[in-house]
Amino acid sequence: MALAVEIPDRVDPYLDIDEYEPEADLMVLNLGPQHPSTHGVFHVKLFLDGEIIIKAVPYAGYLHRGVEKLCEKLMFTQITPIVDKNDYVSPMMNEQAINMAFEALLGVEVPRRARYVRTIEAELQRIASHLLWLGTFGMDLGGALGGGATIFMHCFRERESILDLFEEVTGCRFHYNTHTIGGNRHDITPGWADHVKQALDVIDQRIPEYESLMTGNRIFVERTRGVGVLKAELAMELGITGPMLRAAGVSHDLRRHAPYHAYDEIKVKVQTEKAGDSLARTLVRIREMSESSRIVRELIDNVPEGPICGHKPIKIATQERAQSGQAYACLESPRGELGTYVIGGGANKGASPYRLKIRPPSLHAVSCLPYVLPGHTVSDAVTILGSTDPIIGEVDR
Amino acid sequence: MKGVVLDKKVVALLGERFGVEEFPDDVPPLLDGTRHFELARALKDEIGYRLYGFCVASHWLETTPKKGGDPDPEHYEVATGLRAPGKRSTLAVWRVRLSMDEEIESLVPLFAGADWQEREQYDLVGVRFANHPDLRRLMMPEDWEGHPLRKDYAIETACPPWR
Repeated sequence: MALAVEIPDRVDPYLDIDEYEPEADLMVLNLGPQHPSTHGVFHVKLFLDGEIIIKAVPYAGYLHRGVEKLCEKLMFTQITPIVDKNDYVSPMMNEQAINMAFEALLGVEVPRRARYVRTIEAELQRIASHLLWLGTFGMDLGGALGGGATIFMHCFRERESILDLFEEVTGCRFHYNTHTIGGNRHDITPGWADHVKQALDVIDQRIPEYESLMTGNRIFVERTRGVGVLKAELAMELGITGPMLRAAGVSHDLRRHAPYHAYDEIKVKVQTEKAGDSLARTLVRIREMSESSRIVRELIDNVPEGPICGHKPIKIATQERAQSGQAYACLESPRGELGTYVIGGGANKGASPYRLKIRPPSLHAVSCLPYVLPGHTVSDAVTILGSTDPIIGEVDR
Repeated sequence: MKGVVLDKKVVALLGERFGVEEFPDDVPPLLDGTRHFELARALKDEIGYRLYGFCVASHWLETTPKKGGDPDPEHYEVATGLRAPGKRSTLAVWRVRLSMDEEIESLVPLFAGADWQEREQYDLVGVRFANHPDLRRLMMPEDWEGHPLRKDYAIETACPPWR
């Protein structure tokens, strides 16, 4: 469809709306903060010329809980359950990211068995997270997918089986608090490997079904192809990582290109697409689920024997102290580079971080909206916001 | 710094053109604040650090050394990270020290992603970024008083109810 408004190649997000054609009859539409398609409390102010968006201004902060300030008062060993709630779709990743930074700061080694178990848990969590995204993205597109909630229910059915696996190991279905400095609290149970394989057998069978349910649906393809195109160069300048960057054609995956955990012992196939639109992001995420399943199958039978935590058990909270130093560690979460920057030498005689900063991939993903939304219609805005996979708990912290 | 190994090219660039002499093991190298933007541009255009990483500001109160001597005045530190995407992805990190009334050059003209990160650091820590196109609070309400992540901001500070 030819647009009524001309949109330049590189949108100016700081466009002065008063200088934009004073005669034009503009309308301001507030998408959010309370709207089912914003995946949380997120507010985008849309300036419309007719039905076309000419400027978008996102507002974050409705879910700001002061996690970083809180972490300055808590001790290293007490922080894990707090950061669990940042990215509330993949808590395993938050725990691993923060503990990797503490291990770097304190100079603690992680035993090989713990690294294997962490890798397996991370990949299972990635499948669960992508399944939840796929389901809610189907909901965003609403009636396009045969009654809206069809794919949502299907995806949640498979996600349940992964939560059951985590419950078996950690005792919790969510917010596990299973990682600690130097390893894991809970070792995998005998027979868990068989349960994992059983669950993956079902998931492997269903992933092609989801792919055909999405890409075989003409309405879905029409609503996502060419919608929300993000070019590789802009994506990198914006700091966007993960499936969004890979969908724009950049082969960058920390699991492959800066390995951590046990990823240096296996070969991860990086899934990329060239188009950079919402359809490409969907395809990349669906293929990543298959790839994660393959990685888990490769590792699950070869978990080495040995201790699960290389560190003496934590009896008192002030056990770990760092008087100075700064560390940064990052991993590939389902949404991209989840990093933690930590400065040692804080309160409680060095048992707390002086300053802790989380680099959330979702914050960069949603900051692309002012560049991507102009030129699209309001109905596409919901598609684009959904395709960035925003987790507002992580954006606001 | 811990957890990050600087690439040889970055070390050479910092040492030869930006006059950085010390590369400590536990903290990022300290750069002259006036050359912050120049370094980011050199890293982006010359060595391929095209992926924006992070911006971390921290606030340090005045400290007096136990052995005597001049006290270290109150100051800010801003650490910036840029990433080279793709094969053998590495991170370039450096930090800049600022006195309380100094500003640091914004990286938004080079990296659009610096916009929100710098707004967040301004909001929470209070560091001001020169030439930032839209330096507003990101997390806290617009009428919030003070910067919560400063060390002199007590966690019990009374706050007005949300509008």
